[in-house]
Amino acid sequence: MTSTHTNSHTEAAKMEQVITEFFYKSLLIILESRSSYVSSRNYSGEQTVSSPSSSSSSSSSVRPRDKWFNLALRECPSALENLDLCRRSNFEPVVVDVILEQKPLDWGPASFSPTSDLVRNLSSKNKNSYFWNSDQQDESGSEMKCEKIIERWFVQNESRKGRDCNSGNRRSSCNNLSALYKKLILMLRSLYVTVRLLPAYNIFRDLNSSGLICSFKLVPRVSSFVEPLTRKEEVDMQRFWFTPVDTSCGRLCLSVLYHSSISDMSSESSTPMSPQFIPDYVGSPLADPLRRFPSLPVSHGSPSSLPFSRRHSWSYDHYKASPPLVSFSPSPTHSESNALVSNPSSLGLPPMSLPPHPPETSLAHKRNTNFDEYCPSPNFSASPSPSPSPSLPIYIPWTHLSKALLRSESAPVNIAAPKLANTPALSGKQNLPPCPPLKITRAGTSRTDNIRVPAETDATIEKIFSFGKEDCWKYSGVKAFSNSSPRISCSRSSSRSLQDDFDYSEFPCPFDVEDGEMMDPGSRKSQDAAVGALVRLLKKAPPLRQNVSLNFSEASRPEILSNSIPKQSQILEAVTVEYAAAPNIASFRLVASKTTTDALEELRGYKVMKNLLLSEGGKAYTSNVASAAEHSSTSKDRSIL
Amino acid sequence: MNCEVCQLKELEVEHFEIREVLRCILHTIVFHRALGLVRPKDVDLELFEITYVQCGDVELEKKIDEKIDHFISWVEKHPNKKSQICLSFYEVKSKQPSWFTNKTERLYWEQWYINLNVTQHPKHHSSKSHHTKLVVDPGESATEERSSRRAMVEASLREVLFQIIKFVNEKKDHVPPISEGVIYFPYEITIPRKFQ
Repeated sequence: MTSTHTNSHTEAAKMEQVITEFFYKSLLIILESRSSYVSSRNYSGEQTVSSPSSSSSSSSSVRPRDKWFNLALRECPSALENLDLCRRSNFEPVVVDVILEQKPLDWGPASFSPTSDLVRNLSSKNKNSYFWNSDQQDESGSEMKCEKIIERWFVQNESRKGRDCNSGNRRSSCNNLSALYKKLILMLRSLYVTVRLLPAYNIFRDLNSSGLICSFKLVPRVSSFVEPLTRKEEVDMQRFWFTPVDTSCGRLCLSVLYHSSISDMSSESSTPMSPQFIPDYVGSPLADPLRRFPSLPVSHGSPSSLPFSRRHSWSYDHYKASPPLVSFSPSPTHSESNALVSNPSSLGLPPMSLPPHPPETSLAHKRNTNFDEYCPSPNFSASPSPSPSPSLPIYIPWTHLSKALLRSESAPVNIAAPKLANTPALSGKQNLPPCPPLKITRAGTSRTDNIRVPAETDATIEKIFSFGKEDCWKYSGVKAFSNSSPRISCSRSSSRSLQDDFDYSEFPCPFDVEDGEMMDPGSRKSQDAAVGALVRLLKKAPPLRQNVSLNFSEASRPEILSNSIPKQSQILEAVTVEYAAAPNIASFRLVASKTTTDALEELRGYKVMKNLLLSEGGKAYTSNVASAAEHSSTSKDRSIL
Repeated sequence: MNCEVCQLKELEVEHFEIREVLRCILHTIVFHRALGLVRPKDVDLELFEITYVQCGDVELEKKIDEKIDHFISWVEKHPNKKSQICLSFYEVKSKQPSWFTNKTERLYWEQWYINLNVTQHPKHHSSKSHHTKLVVDPGESATEERSSRRAMVEASLREVLFQIIKFVNEKKDHVPPISEGVIYFPYEITIPRKFQ
């Protein structure tokens, strides 16, 4: 009698223990596949123990609790703590809510906190609930986060009323216990497989495998009592039941309510998938090299003027171009996760008596299957005292990014020539970005070609010369300045010097008004000034022939700087002197050699024109111009030196 | 003891998908019948968005792969035919020893029939493009078609896995008791004669 009572008590205790361990094991299986903190994915790779017979030799690798239900999983102390806290008896259910928590896209400093986590108490009545990271609630409030319960697991031992749990003889109870144990093993095997087939597992796997910061995370919450889901929430969810296992005092039930369409949530979040750059945003010559800056005059010459145009960041409004669409996803993997989440093909559903399948998708996603390494996600930490995890979505608002991009833009006119050298539109020419024109650019030229000279800041000069396209080279090296960069740039100093040259010539110019020539000071001066400017530039051009370059470092300039009509050699000498003094322009000499004849012809033409103009002028004007020419020649001499 | 039979839903797969599909299904079934101490191993399929579970036994994995190779070679000899592979679990019972025989017999207590319809990849119909002004890139349509087909196969495979889970949950009584030191029940993988 006493032994029977003892045996039954022992059997009942064993039954109680089996049920308790079943709760723990089922909780562990669910949590380790929904929480990045603990996972058996890597743990299962340790094939040290495969049979109980070898357990003696490798008992250290098999913990006592692993042997329960013959399923060795990674230990999860938190699962046990949760179980102890939320359950006082085996008849209290265990509810596990798997919450998909997503941070809003436009999070700001207020919501950004490394320690801000996740789970908030949905129910104030749930006194028995225990939350993961409950001590790290979001300080900014629940409004900043988007949470949705995507799974709800129920593990409970339904009591069977009106039946004595301790009834039955010893043999039947033993048989019951072993049969029960076997059935629970089978149930837990099914549970282990099922948790990996549900949609939430894909999210968990991607979060774990990526190891990168994502804007969403899975947060399991264990409690013994939760508020029922709303009708709206439950409509979108499917239920899967595991066949209950009868125990001596009731039956163990396991079921899950899961969201079959997690892609809806990911689409609502509108998280950018991946960084996208507009390749032609910052005026890439490949985008539209022929676009002109609206403030620049339209050239009537050859289309070769157009390649100098460049679409700048400030000019996109003019061209009605869309602003740069740069967006960052939290991580490349997040994009992949999103793709997976939004892929309906991953939303499989159990068939037959279970809810229907979700709609299939036409996309199949091929994945990397190398998941042997366990890569803990920094997003979620389920330990009682977790360290702050940098669960920061990498999202840069468009406004900030656009400003950064704009800041990186070069100045509108500060464009170095070498940068444009390789663009296909430039076709080997030393084409330069356009410059705003000056008044003097167009005056009485028979042939026009567009020569672009880069300008710095405000000093922009656009010269139009009536030379052939091949002649562009000689004007491209107008001046190399003290910064001695190989690029061609017109600084203010250069413009000033050029301005000086506009008014005065270092040596007699065909358009200089000589003594005795009568000219109308008012009407002719501007024309002559323009012509003179052209001539000055001609003079400053690199020597046309290499062999013409002479050493004019000596003080032969006063001879050159005479009012008389310069001879051909003197013109070339002046030009050569100009370049002898300037560094890094020797290369231009070689290029200009073939255009000597054309230049001479042009000079002759100017001379003829000058004679015609001067024939109508007066002496007074001529004397004034002559004195001014002397002054300019002196200053020119200084600049050359 | 009754022999429980489970006919799994037929899967229409291509030749290159056979190995993955069979691995997934066979290991899932064996995992449910490996009631000894196991350390489960998660395996992600390469072709589909499915993670299945192995019981972690290297020998078992090797044997299953051998059987799959044997099945694939059979399929190659019999193309475009519906095929079936059978996974059976049995108990070894020794017959009454006699003077002449000391045989043991196998008592099958469970049989799983995996039905496959191995299809060839459909050829691209290029003739359609000749009669249309709009030139359609054949590559894109083929890719979409392939993706769509892949998704269908994945959904079907998922159905089959849940079918296995449901069967395992509903029928537990016929499973023999767990023997000490045995990880999984004796099994055999065969191709039924009618398909040979």
